[in-house]
Amino acid sequence: MRDALRRLFGGRFWALALKELRQIRRDRRLTISLIVPPTLQILLFGFALDSDVRNLRLGVVDDSRTAESRELISVLTQNRSFRLAAMYTTADLLGKDLATGRLDVGVVVPYDFARLRARGRPNTVQVLLNAANANTAQIAQGYVEGGVAFLSRDVAGIRAAPVELRTALLYNPGLVNAWFIVTGVFGTLIILNGSLVSAATMIREKERGTVEQLLMTPASALEMITAKMVPLFVLLMTMVLLVIAVARVVFGVPFRGTPGLVLFACACCVLSGIGLGTLVSTFARSASQTQLISFFINPPLAMLSGGLTPIEAMPRWVQPLTLLNPIAHFSTIARSVLIKGAGLDVVYPNVLALIALASVFVGISAWRFRRQLA
Amino acid sequence: MRRIIAQARKELTQLLRDRLALGLALVLPVALTALMGTTVSLTVTNIPIVIQDLDQTPLSRQYADAFRTSLTFRVVPLAPAAQPETMLAAGRARAALIIPEHFARELRRHRPVQTQLLVDATDGNTAKLIRGSAGQITSAFVRQLGGAPVPAIQTATRLWFNPGREPRKFYGPGFLVLGLSIFPTVLAALAMSREGEQKTILQVYVSSISAHEFLLGKILAGMVVGVAQCSLLALLMFTLFGLRFAGDPTPIIAGSALFVFCVMSFGSMVGAAIPNQAAAVQAVALGGFLLAFLLSGLIFPVENIPDGLRWISNFVQARYYVIIVRDAFLQGGGWPAVWWAVAAIGGIGLVFYALAWRTMRRMQVKA
Repeated sequence: MRDALRRLFGGRFWALALKELRQIRRDRRLTISLIVPPTLQILLFGFALDSDVRNLRLGVVDDSRTAESRELISVLTQNRSFRLAAMYTTADLLGKDLATGRLDVGVVVPYDFARLRARGRPNTVQVLLNAANANTAQIAQGYVEGGVAFLSRDVAGIRAAPVELRTALLYNPGLVNAWFIVTGVFGTLIILNGSLVSAATMIREKERGTVEQLLMTPASALEMITAKMVPLFVLLMTMVLLVIAVARVVFGVPFRGTPGLVLFACACCVLSGIGLGTLVSTFARSASQTQLISFFINPPLAMLSGGLTPIEAMPRWVQPLTLLNPIAHFSTIARSVLIKGAGLDVVYPNVLALIALASVFVGISAWRFRRQLA
Repeated sequence: MRRIIAQARKELTQLLRDRLALGLALVLPVALTALMGTTVSLTVTNIPIVIQDLDQTPLSRQYADAFRTSLTFRVVPLAPAAQPETMLAAGRARAALIIPEHFARELRRHRPVQTQLLVDATDGNTAKLIRGSAGQITSAFVRQLGGAPVPAIQTATRLWFNPGREPRKFYGPGFLVLGLSIFPTVLAALAMSREGEQKTILQVYVSSISAHEFLLGKILAGMVVGVAQCSLLALLMFTLFGLRFAGDPTPIIAGSALFVFCVMSFGSMVGAAIPNQAAAVQAVALGGFLLAFLLSGLIFPVENIPDGLRWISNFVQARYYVIIVRDAFLQGGGWPAVWWAVAAIGGIGLVFYALAWRTMRRMQVKA
């Protein structure tokens, strides 16, 4: 055992690893592509992807024109979900603007609104919603109905509903969407950038024909591939630290659990990424081909991870597929540990799965790489 | 004109002989749009919820059953000794409903009762949906009891354009735009940078073809492929996503032609500027894909992007195309609704074309 270790980490290994490190250091484009795109991507994703429903354009037909109807409108527009875009004289005009996309929500207040209310008779307000976006429509409907319910309770001045549901939002009471997105994109960034960079370094030897030189050295295939992977691993872990810093400083993602656990998960993710990149490079003949092949792999990998949209919202038959996706496990770990403060006792199934996936990726890629050398 | 067609024919022949590129051109956009359009959604159903019923009376069980029968929730059993919080922390449930002791007794005495809902708010959007539907279930339960009077104001809500609130009808057209943003661009960038990388551009320089003819030939070939992609994707919308043209289809036809021209010009511009295939593809992936994905309102509304970033989206052609496609399939507003978006795509396309021409115009080897 010690003998094997010494052989693996002996002088030859270090020489090869040093060679890789120097090669990477002198390739300025590679270093830049390790720093700039991930930082840019996490900033862009964190800022640009926000599912919040606010500033919906509200159009109103007020046939009542009374203090009561204006109160209803002000209740709807006093929070930041809706802003009054225009008043209309007829429902037809409102409908036309809703159809041409100038409005998101329309409210029609009937002419007898104030009178019926004074008599305490039921009163119906028509709400027209552009439901093209299902999610926005559902949340907007909730807001309108909530506002109207608030008003009708307020006026009737009667007892509160006999069952009152008190909601407590745990872990993220401010409902900061960026926390969800940033922790989700994190794993995607590691895997995608990791595979991109490692495919680029692996394919280079093949493209330039320097594989021959490698074959001439006394190093074994195992030494060669480990020497290739270790410097990449170190570099990618630096990238990981950079991304963590951005998540903490710019987006204020809480770090409630043990950071070591997340770092370990990051390491597994980096290894999966390296494995994936190496695997792709063994199928391709040129650098541009590796990138074209990754077009087939990366988008499904990124989208079927639960990183950006919840896995529970996917069709039932797709959900089991996400178990094979390292990004999905990483997102679960990152969210549980960072946001919920969970420990190993909670996330151990995901950690085990991540270790298994990382070893499978690295194992298969090492096997393919060796076969390619032979 | 003859030279443009000859150039276009050469490009198409070259494409037909490259199987990887052909797959990229025809199979991948359809596969990706189908996969993403059906899987991406924000509207969760079947959310695991635990119910801690401290009352254990027929009435409290009736309240719990109201949650059990809803499509939004799936009740997961709570072990007798376990606390609901631990289920949330472990990620085994997304929400916990706690029904207090004396729930039924207080209700029968017409005294207000408070039940508690703990929501895992890690995902803010899901948390809002959970809060909303739990509230609706509770008020429906109260109405059923006859405890609450008919509310003074009722809402009659009508959902336009997508009455079933099916997410795929919204995301399908969105990812159509993404598919059409990535792949034609990559193909154009590859076709252009390949000439630079393999030095075949020299042959172009010594021939009698002008920069305009050369570019237009390439773009024409790209548009043939692009139109094929469009038709395949439209077919996908009609079958898998169950969509129909909601109104006048001419805006989307004009918009699609201009959009393909626009992305082809963009790809050619990148390819002409970067005579290295790998680098050109990477630039297109970063520029074309990321911008189209993040700043076009594909998944999340453009209005939510902070001002510092949002202005960029005005220059992203996909943003306008998203509007046209969704209008054609869902709203059917026709020309009055989207003429400006069609014009914007045309304008952006012309700018890209001019930039591509500027890099090519001298037809000279770079010193």
